[in-house]
Parts: sequence; structure tokens; C-alpha cells
Amino acid sequence: MKTKKLLGILLASLLVMSLLSGCSLFSGGKPADKIIIFQSKVEITDQLKACAKAYEEETGVKVEVWETTGDDYLQQLKVRLNNNQHPTIFSLAPGAESQELKNYLADLSDLNFVDKIAENMAHEIDGKVVGIPYTLEGFGLVYNKSLIDASKVKDYDSFVQMLKDLKDQGVNGFSLSSESYFLIGHILNTPFALLDDPLDYINKLVAGEVKMQDTEEFKEFAKFMEAIREYTNNPLEVTYDKQCGDFATGKTASIHQGNWCYPMFKDYDIDFEMSLMPFPLMGNDKLAVSVPTCWFVNSQVSAAQQDAGKKFLEWLYTSETGKKYLMEEFKFIPVVEGMESPNLDPLSTAVSKFAAEGKTIGWPNSNWPAGIVDVYLQPVTQEFFTTNMSGEELLAKLTDAFVQAGNK
Amino acid sequence: MKKAGRLAIQLLLIAFCLFYLFPIYIVFVNSFKNRQELYENALAFPGTFSLRFYSEAMEKMRFARSFGNSLLVTTVSIALIIVLASMTAWMLARRDNRLSRFIFMTYVATMIIPFQTIMMPLFQVMGWIRDTLHIPMIDTHGGLIYMNLGFGSSMAVFLYHGFIKSVPVSLEEAATIDGCNRFQTFWKIVFPILKPTTVTIMILDVIWIWNDYLLPSLTLSNIDKKTIPLSTQTFFGVFTIEWNLAMAGLMLTIIPVIIFYIAAQKYIVKGVAAGAIKM
Amino acid sequence: MYRKGDNAWYALFVLPLTLVFVTVVVIPFFIGIGYSFVKWDGMKLNPMTYVGFDNYSRIFADSGFWTSALHTTIFTLASVLIINLLGLAYALIVTSRLRVRNAVRAVLFMPYMIGGLILGYIWQFIFSDMFKNLGQLTGWTRVFFNWLLDPDYALVAMIVVTTWQLAGYIMIIYINGIQSIPDDVVEAAKVDGANFWQTLFRVRLPLLMPAFTVCLFVTLSNCFKMFDVNVSLTGGGPNNATELMAMNIYSEIFLLSNYGYGQAKAIIFFIVIASITLIQVYQTKKREVEL
Repeated sequence: MKTKKLLGILLASLLVMSLLSGCSLFSGGKPADKIIIFQSKVEITDQLKACAKAYEEETGVKVEVWETTGDDYLQQLKVRLNNNQHPTIFSLAPGAESQELKNYLADLSDLNFVDKIAENMAHEIDGKVVGIPYTLEGFGLVYNKSLIDASKVKDYDSFVQMLKDLKDQGVNGFSLSSESYFLIGHILNTPFALLDDPLDYINKLVAGEVKMQDTEEFKEFAKFMEAIREYTNNPLEVTYDKQCGDFATGKTASIHQGNWCYPMFKDYDIDFEMSLMPFPLMGNDKLAVSVPTCWFVNSQVSAAQQDAGKKFLEWLYTSETGKKYLMEEFKFIPVVEGMESPNLDPLSTAVSKFAAEGKTIGWPNSNWPAGIVDVYLQPVTQEFFTTNMSGEELLAKLTDAFVQAGNK
Repeated sequence: MKKAGRLAIQLLLIAFCLFYLFPIYIVFVNSFKNRQELYENALAFPGTFSLRFYSEAMEKMRFARSFGNSLLVTTVSIALIIVLASMTAWMLARRDNRLSRFIFMTYVATMIIPFQTIMMPLFQVMGWIRDTLHIPMIDTHGGLIYMNLGFGSSMAVFLYHGFIKSVPVSLEEAATIDGCNRFQTFWKIVFPILKPTTVTIMILDVIWIWNDYLLPSLTLSNIDKKTIPLSTQTFFGVFTIEWNLAMAGLMLTIIPVIIFYIAAQKYIVKGVAAGAIKM
Repeated sequence: MYRKGDNAWYALFVLPLTLVFVTVVVIPFFIGIGYSFVKWDGMKLNPMTYVGFDNYSRIFADSGFWTSALHTTIFTLASVLIINLLGLAYALIVTSRLRVRNAVRAVLFMPYMIGGLILGYIWQFIFSDMFKNLGQLTGWTRVFFNWLLDPDYALVAMIVVTTWQLAGYIMIIYINGIQSIPDDVVEAAKVDGANFWQTLFRVRLPLLMPAFTVCLFVTLSNCFKMFDVNVSLTGGGPNNATELMAMNIYSEIFLLSNYGYGQAKAIIFFIVIASITLIQVYQTKKREVEL
């Protein structure tokens, strides 16, 4: 009896619910005239929604923003593209990701601002512009200016000297953190970027024709890693949150991060200045700066939809309102001529300064075999930081990882 | 002597429960802290119990809307699971032939398939149903309920099947002789006896469906249709996770389920007191 | 007892749910088997080449897969045992006449409600930061150190968290089972002079066999396909020491984009687990006492 009553209550409440919401369970209702945006940078979701509203007010075209979490965006995108649940505009990292999905990318060469995109920043596949860059991001050493004099950390010796000096003062000189990219994905980018032809090297590495342990840049990289293991806290015990907290409270003098980490400091009272400097491998004085993400228009939606998507991008990058959102709300660093960001945070300022002076190296890590950082490189690095494995062994294992991942 | 022993056992149990609740305590206290306070001491009591993260989380989650969606999806899914699975399990248990055993084993065997390996084909099938039968299975609550029913059926059939054995067949035979058809026999005689199992399935499935993330996240795209766990998505960024909002959001998600659970507990207790198979 | 029209009733009772079930679970699963014979990255517009049993033969040389299979076996055996012992103990406690039983029942079930990233964050904090501090405080550094950095203890940590989450869940099913034991049987045993332990082992546990069947199976299948706790607590680390099979397959499909190969792994995984669990169900079903 009781169960029936309970069931009755459930069903009744359900009936009331459906009446209240006034909708049938299968109401889909997809008017064709709206643009759907699905993108990975969750941090700007709220601002993007406001921007979509502004676009609707100015042009009458409805824009819907689909949400997800930062972790499962790519998987969600793939499932959606496979069952014709198509977003009009979506985002991807240029490189291995966009190559894999290149059949889904519309040609954007005819957008009216394509020729104003900064040199080498528009993303091209097979000679066609397909991706419009979001912003610039740069990574290297985010450092505390009151603890580190950037002009004195120029190479391996001075880097190690810095670690030792600070250790004597009870400060951790440098910190990686345990997440895959923050542990190895970013820092391993530098030796690749310093090579004459990184892409060629990656191909040869995967084919087994070259080995990291025979390459100068990587040999020095291994020395750096050994020094980091010896003189700094174990990165496997440091989460991204803790790493930023230690830095903000002066317990750590520098962290291997990029300008994206600035919002992590917003709740702290910080009493020092910070900036970004290059990771001084082989005397490197250039910051690793590139485009983390691009907008793409889906080639699998109707021609009218694709046009609507392109119009939105043109509006975003050329109209006053659009530019205002890019610069002031999303806090992007300009990648298209005629834009200026009025109030960048100190780290982004450093990135745009290095970019303006041309003192940048690229991100060949976006051309590594897909998934390699999480599936292969992170375990090897974890082993390095929990055992006494030598730097040379680390290189040998990293080389194996590339061969394995590239030949799947 | 016996009384003292009982008291000791009870005290021990209470201590054990506190230990059990410790992780939930961490969620609770940190839903009141900002990033710096969380970094400094994740265990400490917050300086102030200001509800601002809760109101911020509620606003960003569009709480009323997503709560309504979750309620709708959960109640309909569960009502369907209970009605259909109990009927199916009863038939399969009572007509114990090869076909029944085959169907039952298929239900059971599929419980071990990890969802991740069938999700791509699943959405192909749903897309096919949408395109050829014109029933919109994707991005609708109906589609989500349909899939919940499919995934919940194995466990429910399995549980009902297991416990139908404690229902004496003689009762059903008597009903049949009295002129009840199968349908009447089932609903008048058998289903009431299965009450403890029904409550069990209700409790387990309410929590599963209410908290489910992956399936609804792939099914629902439109923001007006999102269920509660999906509405906290924006707290989990690419690099930055807003722990305080995420934890406040989690508290807001589980409080309704806890209330439901405590309410439903009553029925378990009554079942025990009355003796399950007495009518 | 069978009558005319019974087949129609059978269809009416069994077909609706089975139809849903077939479209949602069975058909996708068979499509998945089809994909295990191709080399494909999982995107509809990208090329798909038929490779026959290549994917399957590759699995035998894939040491990562077999290592994860070993971890999964250890993890599952330990978890299933502990979860069922605890779950049964909890169920006996909360169906006793103790005054705190209601509160205890509510508390024990609560962990099941916390999942995903937050679960990982909290337990990571407990096993790393808190354990380290406890070690320094008490000096018992052999017990309290960062468990997540040690390959063996990290697996133990996963067992702890899984037990914490699932013991309360299993308790609910055991409670259901205990309720189906008629009071008069237990009373009769007491009247005959049986003490607590005798009633437990001679009367109640044998009558609980249906509940055992269900609970063992539910824990077995849950632990074998464990994914959430794996990803959020250890991420498979350190150095893949805690990578379970579901995660290995997931990485293959979604991170490395080897859809066909990942599906082949999933099929092997399914066949192995299905044989083990079905044997288990068959064995315990045989021991059930019919009333």
C-alpha cells in the first residue's frame, strides 16, 4: 500500500511538474536560424553568453552557447559531431587536434579580416585558413620579482645557483606541479622549440631515426630535470592549486606556468611584483608563445549556417562591441590588427611584450602525437620523480614514449 | 552489564560515523572559503559562514530551472523503471524456460559493460531513431529518460528477479483460481509483496539518476534542459576550478537527495518491523 | 498452471522493457563489436580500414593492457571482499534494535552521493597532505606518508575510497535481503535455544543467499569497470601503477584516438569479466534456499 502511495505521489508531482513547465518531454524545437557555439575555454563562458546576447540585440540572430567542463570538452565534441548534433562554431587546439578533425573544418579564407591577423597566427591546413586564433598565451617561469633577479638567471649554472641560494633562505626556488601538462607537457616543449626544425625532428623521433639522448638540447634538458628533482619540492606532491598558493604566499619563488594562471591569485593579498621569464635552457631568452585555441566553423552544417557562423566571427573581430568583448571581457591579447587591450594583467603584459619584440619560440608540443602527454609522458615523468632514475634514462624512456604513441 | 555493552557499541558506532563523514565535512567547510583560505587550511572552520558562495552558485547554476529538470527526469525514469522492470522480472522468474533464462542472462551480463565503450554507438543508434523515426532522442528529456530506462533496467530486473523467490507461488495460484488474470495477479498480489525491493531500487536509482553526469552531459545541450550536475559545469574550467562554488554546488545537489533518502528510510524500517512477507 | 493466452501475457510483460534495453545497450554493444575489426579514429568522416583480427592479435603484445588487467584483478578481489563484509556488517547493525540505527544508516549511505572531480580532490588531500602532516605529528611515518606516491599504497588508497563509497550502497541491498527473512524462522531458532552467532550462521546467512548473489555480482561488476575513482584520485599514477582496465580502454579510445583497437580491448575485457561473473552468479544461485 505504502509503495503505491509513494508511487502515486511521485507520479502526481511529475504531472504537476510537466504542467508547470508546460512542455512535453520530447520538445526539441530547433529553429535553423540560430548559431550554436561550443568551445573549450570554460573560463569565459559567462562573458561569451553576454556577448551572444549583445549579438542578438544588434543583428537579431540568436546565438546559443553550449557548456561543458574543461576536462571532457574534446570527447563531448567528438560524440556530438558523430551524431549530427552540430554546433556551428567550435574550438580546438591548432595542431594534432585540428588535424584529426580537419574534415569538419570549413574554409575561412574569405573572412573579411583574415589579412589583418598577425603573421603566422591564422591557422592553416592545406593552404586554407581554417582557424581564427583566440588569443596569445605564453609560458615560462612565472617568478617573484622580489626573490629572483631575472637578469641573473640565464643558463643552467645560474638556474641551479638560484635554486641553491633560495634553498638556503628556506624558499623553494622553482616548482612544477602534478598535472600532466604542468609536470612535463609544457617544460618538455622548450628543447623541441629550440631545434632548427622541430616538426621534422618529431617525425624522425617517432620513426626511431633520432633519439633524445643523442641530441644536445635534450641532454641539457635532462640536467635541468635532475637539478629540479634535487633542489626543489617533489612536484608530484604539488597540485596546481597548491603550486599557485605557494607562489602567492612567497614560499616558492618561481613556477613553470603561463599567463593563464593569473586569475588563480585573485583571492590572495600579494605584496610583490611578478612577471614571466623564459626557461633558460641552452641560454634560451625567448618565451614560448603561441595560439592555444582557435575558432572553427563546422563544415557539416548547411551553407546558410556556415555563413551565419562566419558573420558572427567577423562581427566579433571587427565590430566595436565584438572587440570590446574580446579585449575587455575575455581579456584576450590582440592577435588581429587594430585591437588593443587596455588593462592586461602583469603576466599577459609580459607575453605581449615578448611577442612584440619577436622574442618568442613556438609550441611544437601541439604537434606531438595525440594524447601522448597524458598517456605516455606523465607516467614516465612520475617514475623519474619517485625513483633515482638518471636523466639519461628519462630521455631514453621519453624517446620510447614517442615511438610508441606515434605508431599506434 | 548488557546495557553498558550496548552503550559502548553505540558510542563506537557514532565515532565510526564521524570518521565516515569526514570527507563530507571537508566539502562543507570549504564551500565557505575563498581560494586563499582553502590553500591555507582546508580543514579549518571558515572565518564566516557567509552564504555568498551559495547564492552565487545558485544563480550560476540557474538552480530553480535545473532542479525542476532533475526532478522531472528522475521521477519519470524511476517510475518507468519500477513498473516495467518488476513486470519483466516476475515473468522471467515465473516462466523459467530457456528463453527466460537467456533474456535474464543478457540483462545481467550487460551490467559489466563500461559505459564509455558503448557511448559512441549508443548515440549513433539514438541519432538513427531521430532521423528515421523522427522521435527526437537527443537533447530532450524524453530521450534521456529512455536511455536511463535502458541502463537502469539490468540492475532493477536483477534485483527483482533475485527477491521474487521469497514470494510463495501458492499465493499467485490462489489468485488465479479466484479468476484474476496475469495483470491483476501481478499488481494485486505480487507487486505489494515486492515493496522492500521497490524501495531499495528507488533509493539506489534516485541517487544514480540525480547525480549522473556523463550520460546527461552527452544527451542534453540546451541550457534550459540541463539537470543539476550539468549546471555546475562552468565551475570546472580548463585550468582553474572554482572549488568554493563547486563545493557549494555539490552541497546544493546532494541536500535534496539526503532529504529524500531520510524520508524513504521510514519505509525500510516499517518493512522490517512488519516482517517483509506478511501481508 | 499455464493457460491459453499466456504467451501474450509474457510478451506484454517482458517486451516493453526489453525493447528499450535492446536499443540502448545491446545494439550499441554489437555495433561496438563491429568496430573492433577496423582501424579507425572514431570520427565519422575519417577513413576506416578493415583489419580483421589484427586489433585482437595486437592486444597480446600490449603489456600496458595486461598490467592494467593485473591491477584490476587485485583491486577487484580486495574491494569485493571488503565491501561485502562491511556492507553485510552494516546491514546487520542497522537492522538491529540499537537506538542509533537510523542515524547510522543515513550516514553510511551518504558517501555514495559524492562523486567526480570533487571526490578526487578531497581524498587526494587526505592521502597526501593530511597523511604527511599526521606522520610528522605522530612520528608514525610508516603508516602516515603520502600514499599516492607509492605504487602499492596508491592501489590500497583506491580500495579504501571505493569501499567508502560502495559499502553503504551494498548495505541497502543486504537490508533488503534481511527483510525477506521471515521473522518466525528466526524466532523459532531462538526458541530452540540458538544464540546470536548460531542464528546468524545457521539460519540468517543461508537464507541470505539470494542477497549474496546480487551483492557479489553488483560489487564485482562495479569494481571491474571502476573508472571515476581511478581518474579522479590517482589518474592511474604513479607511473601507471594504479591504471585499471576501464581507464586503459578509455585512454585508448578518447585520448589516443584508436577507436577500433580500444573497442577490441573492451570486447576482450567483456568476455573475461562476463565469464567470471556469470560463473559466480550460477554458483551462488545454486546455493539459494527456496522457501
